[in-house]
Amino acid sequence: MSLEFLAPDAAVADDRHTPIARTSMERAARSAGARFEVRDGWNVAVAYGSPERERTAVRETAGWADVSHLGKLELHVSNADDLAAIVAQAADGATLELGSATRAADAWWLPLTADRAIVVTDAAALPGLRDRLQEAAANASATVSVIDATCKYAALTLVGPLAREVFARFSAVDLRPRSLPVQGFRPGSVARTPGMVVREGDDRFLLLFGWAVGAYVWETVSDAGAHLGGSPVGLDALDEVAIGIAPVREEASRA
Amino acid sequence: MTRLPQQPGERLTRSRTVAFTFDGKRVEGYEGDTIASAMFAAGRRTFSRSFKYHRPRGEMCACGQCSNSMVAVDGRPGVRACGEPARDGMVVTHQNAWPSLGFDVMRATDYSGPLTPPGFYYKTFIRPRKLWPVYEKVLRHAAGLGVLRKKQEDREWRTEYRRRHCDVLVIGGGIAGLAAATRAAELGADVVLCDEDIEPGGALLHEGHHERARALVEQARVAGVEILTRAPALGFFDGLVPVWQGDTLHQVRAARTVVATGVIEQPLVFPDNDLPGVMLAGGAQRLAALYGVRPGSAAVVATTGDRGLAAALALREAGVEIRAVADLRTGGPAADAARLQELGVELHQGATVVRATGGKALTGAVIAEVDASGLARPGTERELDCDLLCVSGGTVPATSLLLQGGAKARYDETTARFMAGALPAGVFAAGAVVGHEDADAAELSGAIAGAEAAQALARSSNGARTPNLDDERERLGALPAPSAVAAPPAYARDAKKGGKAFVDLDEDVTVKDIKLSIAEGYDSIELSKRYTTVTMGPSQGRFSQLPSIRVMAQETGMSMGEVGITTARPPWTPVPLGALAGRPIEPAKRSAIHGRHRELGAQVKWAGDWRRAYDYGDPQGEAVAVQKAAGLIDVSTLGKMLVRGPEAGAFLDRLYPNRFSNLKPGRIRYGVISSDAGRIVDDGTICRVDEDTFYVTTTSSGAAAMEEWFGWWLADWKMDVHLTDVTQAISAINLAGPKAREIMATVTDLDCSNDAFGYMDGKRALIAGVPCLILRIGFVGEVGYEIHYPAAHGEHLWDALLDAGKPHGLRPFGLEPQRLLRLQKMHILVGQDTDSESTPFAAAMPWIVKLDKEGDFIGKWALKHYAEIEPETALVGFTMANGHVPTEGAVVVRSGVAAGQVTSSRYSPQLDQVIGLAWVPKDLAADDAAITISDEGVTYDATVRTKPFYDPEGEVLRS
Repeated sequence: MSLEFLAPDAAVADDRHTPIARTSMERAARSAGARFEVRDGWNVAVAYGSPERERTAVRETAGWADVSHLGKLELHVSNADDLAAIVAQAADGATLELGSATRAADAWWLPLTADRAIVVTDAAALPGLRDRLQEAAANASATVSVIDATCKYAALTLVGPLAREVFARFSAVDLRPRSLPVQGFRPGSVARTPGMVVREGDDRFLLLFGWAVGAYVWETVSDAGAHLGGSPVGLDALDEVAIGIAPVREEASRA
Repeated sequence: MTRLPQQPGERLTRSRTVAFTFDGKRVEGYEGDTIASAMFAAGRRTFSRSFKYHRPRGEMCACGQCSNSMVAVDGRPGVRACGEPARDGMVVTHQNAWPSLGFDVMRATDYSGPLTPPGFYYKTFIRPRKLWPVYEKVLRHAAGLGVLRKKQEDREWRTEYRRRHCDVLVIGGGIAGLAAATRAAELGADVVLCDEDIEPGGALLHEGHHERARALVEQARVAGVEILTRAPALGFFDGLVPVWQGDTLHQVRAARTVVATGVIEQPLVFPDNDLPGVMLAGGAQRLAALYGVRPGSAAVVATTGDRGLAAALALREAGVEIRAVADLRTGGPAADAARLQELGVELHQGATVVRATGGKALTGAVIAEVDASGLARPGTERELDCDLLCVSGGTVPATSLLLQGGAKARYDETTARFMAGALPAGVFAAGAVVGHEDADAAELSGAIAGAEAAQALARSSNGARTPNLDDERERLGALPAPSAVAAPPAYARDAKKGGKAFVDLDEDVTVKDIKLSIAEGYDSIELSKRYTTVTMGPSQGRFSQLPSIRVMAQETGMSMGEVGITTARPPWTPVPLGALAGRPIEPAKRSAIHGRHRELGAQVKWAGDWRRAYDYGDPQGEAVAVQKAAGLIDVSTLGKMLVRGPEAGAFLDRLYPNRFSNLKPGRIRYGVISSDAGRIVDDGTICRVDEDTFYVTTTSSGAAAMEEWFGWWLADWKMDVHLTDVTQAISAINLAGPKAREIMATVTDLDCSNDAFGYMDGKRALIAGVPCLILRIGFVGEVGYEIHYPAAHGEHLWDALLDAGKPHGLRPFGLEPQRLLRLQKMHILVGQDTDSESTPFAAAMPWIVKLDKEGDFIGKWALKHYAEIEPETALVGFTMANGHVPTEGAVVVRSGVAAGQVTSSRYSPQLDQVIGLAWVPKDLAADDAAITISDEGVTYDATVRTKPFYDPEGEVLRS
């Protein structure tokens, strides 16, 4: 692959160097008291010292977690039909619908336009997904680009009953359930920068925004969230708030 | 004794006291009191001094609408005491009076008459001109209300925005608003209601119907309405209504809006109508009903409608002796008037107040019958002792928000006031603001408006059918019309001279001032407003707009409709700038290596929307290190795009004046983007990664614009090309210097010899275990490797290179030394060394324009033209004869006339001379030509250089 210089997971350890991938929010999380572990090649914040406080945040107020380590791919196909076919092949028959996120093959499939989508998955699952997409792309008649966008977008998961109130302090995207139901997907301004929001569950939102503004967005979210009684949470605490799953939309007929 | 026994609908919790200080003296009140009601109960009658004349002012509206009771609370100026709940420990102080509220030396301005007419600052205090700064200081010191704390940290307070989307926003929490909100919510809409008062309920609360009001509020809450109190709507901005609530600015975006903002009771205009003790009838009623305060002992009531009569009855009930009631209407007493007469109250029909008497406070009032101009008919005057004068000059619908939203104002002759009509789509109005002042009519109209708003959204609850509103509309139409209101005269007065008749209490604008403005030619309401400042004070014309229009109509002979009203503008209520500012967190882009720069002591500054390291404490030493050993700079801010597809090369050929389709994979070419007009817009390098993939870099500040430019043209040309912005995804660092190759060899297996990896080659390799795209380019003029890699490994690779380079003398260097180094090579900075008129030909880059390309490209037509003509100016280098470093922007002069400008200049320690770039007349663009630079009035000699100051043939770069 000629574009491996985009892929953080293409780094290899040698006898002198062990590259560990780090997010743009790592320093801010460290200042907030995060404890880190290396998982799947990434230095990730797993906890913030008080499991009780984190539990309160996700259950009663609001918590935010840096999930920038999630693998992301940008899929660009010159033909909408080919995009649909590639997605169906790589994602167990899933179909995409503008305005909605599709949960399939342990990934979020986010259609930006009829011929462009972002896929978000666990860091460990990224290489396999990339391979499946490239395999599916080989069958397409149109030009296909599968670009590693892991470091293009930083990501934050915002959870808790006050998650929407916290979000309202820095973004005008309408997160009311009637406007953004579970699995809804909205590009829009997040803290005055271009971003995207996925409603992963009733009180769980995935925010995507530019990697370079990670520290700024963390500061903004922390400022808003702390004022409402929330706190940062580690990856382990996120398990308390499930990702809402809807059935994969099957194609009407499969080839 | 000013406190009344417990009132049925009062807001007080008498079992809990609160204590605060006013001007250092302790004041006690009850929980639920406002600052003003507590102070009033304690005996205070003067609350402030007026803006210009420093006249004593007392409570007028008792609801936070006027500016008579403005005080400073805990250091925050401009707080309306009659709308601010009292809290334990508050420190309240007066404003705009010195040395004390009781004795204010600036009251002298009240007697300054001819020296301070409207616009006096345009007529007096302007000569001699050189003294104006002194006058300005004195006037500025005398003007203004309140004082801010000196230290910034003492003035800071936390404010934030809250974005709220909803189906229906109801503005106004009176009976109509509550009914609208409840109805819409019951029909399934998501409803927000905002009200500026301490609690919703509106006039019902102090007019004896508090139980009905509070029941409606509970109904609204049960229906799921979000109710915001002490939350005035500030304006109407195309579907966005900002609502200010304390330290939160709610930005409400509603699909539909119901405006139920009610009416504003109007004062009357007569001599000395500003004396403490003159109150709005409704204000006096509020004090009594909501705060259990007797507003006076003996009152005179002057009214033009039933409101004043109802207030008189209520005040009598509260133990106030009503000496007389003057009802301007004729034609038989209304029901309340008859009741007053039964109670032995003097009733004077066809009469109004023509003067208030008293010194520091009201001691009496004169009522009389008046002619059409408002002059008292001789022999009808009746002078009465009183300490309370309740005035009710009719009402004005609070239409400002409707008008801001696009409704049209029209003068209604029947009710003698301006109404709003022709509401824009999505906006509904209900209640008193559209003429339904009776409680039943207001409630019904509110319910209808709420249903209409919800219906428009096709919402229904649990499948219930949306109601048929025809019956309700019919019922509303059948309700009795409101009782008549007499139009008061523009200003009433008796035959005596003296006394100021105020049209605008906020700005101390009198009837005489309006007349003067008309006489001076400001004879439209818009001009008179600007000249006299009428309606421009804190109450934003609530009590002064209609009276000022009446005066203008009377004086000019125009009808009220012809005079018209001034344009409604936000904010409807004065709001602190801090509430509008929101959180002071600036969006900032930071490279993945930013933390390291800070740790290394970098001086960080803004460069566009990025935070960048300008230097590490020694910019000249850093520049020398690059040339003697090696330097490392973070260039992650560069714009970066992947251009992929079978037509990618052709696409770039059409965008750029030079060719890229013939670029071999693994090679790099410099490119300049030109506009349609052939002017330089941006520049950067393009590396062909593989047959179908180009990696394009742009300037940092041009990244977003270039992505847009590329995308726009791609959409137009519909070529088979994929564009992906990866600016933030990639960290980029430039390792440059004579030792750069040696350092590289320690961190990568890639053969970096010049034969294997030549100048303008691009290669992919692992460096310190990280996958990289390495561009052998040389912006700073040395052997250099610009390394692009995933941002997640930003610090890792930076650290690895710094470690590897330490033994070789490698130093980090910042933007400032980079600027010097590139200047030595005469490498331009687009936007600094070029402007919107610069062409590649004039900028000494004719080689970049490939007019022999097949096919069209952007700017071709213009560039063909420029290729055939001599540019008037050219970009050249220069050295200074002395050691002066000219300011960037200094002028190149010829025979004393401007002929060009300096764009970049620095002292080079390596070359030990001052160098720069400048635009000069074309005939001077030759080596050794002499030019003159004028810098801040002093001229300097300089010599032109057309080749780079350092390594002119590029041998070092290519070594």
